[in-house]
Amino acid sequence: MKITHETEGTAAIFTVCGQVDMHTSPELRGSLRKALEGRATPLVVDLGQVSFIDSSGLATLIEALQAVGRYGGKLRLCGLAPDVRKLFDLARLSTIFDLRDNRDAALK
Amino acid sequence: MTDTTGRQGDHAACAPDRLEGTLPSHPKYLPLVRAITVEAAELAGIETETARHLMLAITEAWSNVIRHAYHNAEDQRIDFRFEASPGELLIEIEDHATWVDPSRIASRPLDQIRPGGLGVHLIQSTMDDVAYTRNEHGGTTLRLVKRVAPAEDPTS
Repeated sequence: MKITHETEGTAAIFTVCGQVDMHTSPELRGSLRKALEGRATPLVVDLGQVSFIDSSGLATLIEALQAVGRYGGKLRLCGLAPDVRKLFDLARLSTIFDLRDNRDAALK
Repeated sequence: MTDTTGRQGDHAACAPDRLEGTLPSHPKYLPLVRAITVEAAELAGIETETARHLMLAITEAWSNVIRHAYHNAEDQRIDFRFEASPGELLIEIEDHATWVDPSRIASRPLDQIRPGGLGVHLIQSTMDDVAYTRNEHGGTTLRLVKRVAPAEDPTS
């Protein structure tokens, strides 16, 4: 898994590439934590290049959602591939997260 | 020629539709576990969507063994077995730790939005049969079954 991080005004954008599982989700959690400490909003996580995500990855994103909520910020996920989107549906998380088609839509 | 174990010839027989092996309990091997799963599914004639469900279920199950049976120790053994038969694929994951009561790793209600507790739900919602039994090593064997429609014979 690879993560790149950019900022745009108050927004923080994380682009995640590869597979997110028990082995790699701690790295994602650590990356997001820095933006959460800086109260970034919107916090955008681009999952367009994620080929696989498991419950530990979903848990990491739920933690981030709860953290941004505590300071009144927004978390937006974008670019989900159909297979990844199906997992969100399976876990009944599609309506909990703000899912956007792409990064531009996530930054609006 | 039959040897004292009843085997024919000089080599032990190996069922062609059964794959088995052992990997260390380090989470870095999870992509390898998924790769084996998807290849085993393809060899069993399982279509891609179902194979993705299998990858998810085995990832969750394997992660539970590392977390709950081995308490994140990275040097313990996890045995696995895939067995394809007409209409179903059986996957067994076996640890050598102590028996883990499945209720300790129970699923959470999905209307409670909090991290954790999703893994068991994902296993149960993607597999047809899920059973935990105590194994001969004193640990836990998880038996997962996915039933599949028999592949059509392209020559018929």
